[in-house]
Amino acid sequence: MTLTATKPEGKVLIKGNYAIANAAVIAGCECYFGYPITPQSEIGEFMSGKMQELKRAYVSSESELASINMVIGACSTGAKAMTSSSSCAVSLMQEALSYATAEELPVVLVSVMRGGPGLGNIYPSQGDYNQATIGGGNGDYKLIVLAPGNVQECIDLTYKAFYLAHKYKNPTMVLADGLLGQMMEPVTFGDYPYPEVDDSAWALTGAKGRGRRVIRSYAPSADDQCVFLNKLYAKYALIEEKEVMYDEYMTEDADLIVASFGSMSRNVKSAVKIAREKGLKVGAFRPITISPFPNKRLKELSCSAKKFLVTEINMGQMVRDVRLAVNGKVPVEFYGKGVGSMIDVEDLVDKIESLIEV
Amino acid sequence: MATQVFKVPDSIIKDMTYGFCPGCDHGVAIRLVAECLDELGLKENAITATSIGCSVCLYDYLDVDSVEAPHGRALAEATGIKRARPDKFVFTYQGDGDFASIGLGESTHAALRGENITAICINNTTYGMTGGQLGPTTLLGQVTTTSPTGRNVEYYGYPIRIAEHIALCEGTAYSARVSLDSVANIRKAKQAIKKAFEYQLKGLGFSFVEILSTCPTNWHMTPQKAHDRVRDDMMKVFVPGVYKDVLQKV
Repeated sequence: MTLTATKPEGKVLIKGNYAIANAAVIAGCECYFGYPITPQSEIGEFMSGKMQELKRAYVSSESELASINMVIGACSTGAKAMTSSSSCAVSLMQEALSYATAEELPVVLVSVMRGGPGLGNIYPSQGDYNQATIGGGNGDYKLIVLAPGNVQECIDLTYKAFYLAHKYKNPTMVLADGLLGQMMEPVTFGDYPYPEVDDSAWALTGAKGRGRRVIRSYAPSADDQCVFLNKLYAKYALIEEKEVMYDEYMTEDADLIVASFGSMSRNVKSAVKIAREKGLKVGAFRPITISPFPNKRLKELSCSAKKFLVTEINMGQMVRDVRLAVNGKVPVEFYGKGVGSMIDVEDLVDKIESLIEV
Repeated sequence: MATQVFKVPDSIIKDMTYGFCPGCDHGVAIRLVAECLDELGLKENAITATSIGCSVCLYDYLDVDSVEAPHGRALAEATGIKRARPDKFVFTYQGDGDFASIGLGESTHAALRGENITAICINNTTYGMTGGQLGPTTLLGQVTTTSPTGRNVEYYGYPIRIAEHIALCEGTAYSARVSLDSVANIRKAKQAIKKAFEYQLKGLGFSFVEILSTCPTNWHMTPQKAHDRVRDDMMKVFVPGVYKDVLQKV
């Protein structure tokens, strides 16, 4: 680890995992709870030392079940708290994420994807797009999911995750992958750029001078549960209206738009540059919030573009969201690879050429 | 002059409908918890992580801040609460299935870490809310809906002695098992709960009380017969006593 100062001056060269961890510290994370798993173990390693140095809470938990529920406990008091994990271990947290959305708690979870299904392997993958955006918990719920595409965004979106989680009282995930977690890039940290959210209206502090507060998901009456779900989904509509983020590159006159998220978008941008030099009218689109998904913008783009290509390091997950957004207006092709390194720029250019020639 | 001989504890919600079955010991146990909170002045500083099963109903009766945990995870949530806010009084109220089956990992590790929190565990040898299935403390020979001919070792293995298990963890400051089968034992139970709470206030580490309790509905017994069973059958296997007390060197 190269960081000695919590807030290093100017540019520093740093791994994605350390960038996320240090950004959480700067964001004011009061509690970190974690269990080791590759390729994100550096986050917990960094936090173990830094949180103790700063006299903040740190627990090496007995399991991921415990980690995420410790985060729930800490968040119920209004604390900024987080855990980090990966793929098969994030599977173990699905129940708690369902509870945390029903209990409207500001849980922050960093997921650094590895190969799956099952134990899979530790190579970079984007195979947990569905796990993050749809999830495996029970009932109607959604997470806010932010997908960084470079190490600087690992920092910026970790800051944002704490802010959005507390602003909307909804579990928020930073979805990185093994490539971003292990890659070094020059970054700047700066200060935590968001205002502190006042949680005094709901946080558990002991019922002194007020009635007791109960944070619960159990709703014995079906009618009450319907009222709650309508309120929850009104919140999701508001988040979609206010918080959708995406990145576009040369889409204005593009006949073909290549959509990708996370680290895969880096090679897509390079491929689009090369294709443009060859005179091909192609652009790139990258959702930064993958939940909520930028449906509205993609729908607009489907009026000007003639075709979409979705490329991911999985067997085709985000492609379904793009197809839903485009709603059959233009064809949406998929070009993926199960797991491992990103698809080569040359292969992407070939694919782009084949689609534009057709 | 009139003397007040009965008072609902301040920590009990006043305008609630009592929902436990006739003869169930949850009502007595929750009252004891409430009396201890009152006597130690903890009501306004307490936060509880509730559990799943009949014990989840704690928040229908107890007038303190609470957050609901998934099945078995109450002590993970309590750990998060206490680590975030060490000045708060933090406790859990769980059943034997929640504490010692699905949550045994969380329970054991909270004790091993010496988390400065208190856990109360109701042991009624069955899963009550779901209709009386075999649980981690079901006695050998006991008939339940999932051990129709009685618990045998071949199919089900052995019940766990929770208070002894928690006493083995080095972070445990206090571990006791109590019973509610008689007035004398109810008084002892209250003393144990109060001591467990006091140990948290003194910052001594994890404190634990296992309470042997009835489930007349699922045991198919009258309240009196159920309490006889606690005394005649349960207390022979789950022997009441103090299994760890760091101040008494037990």
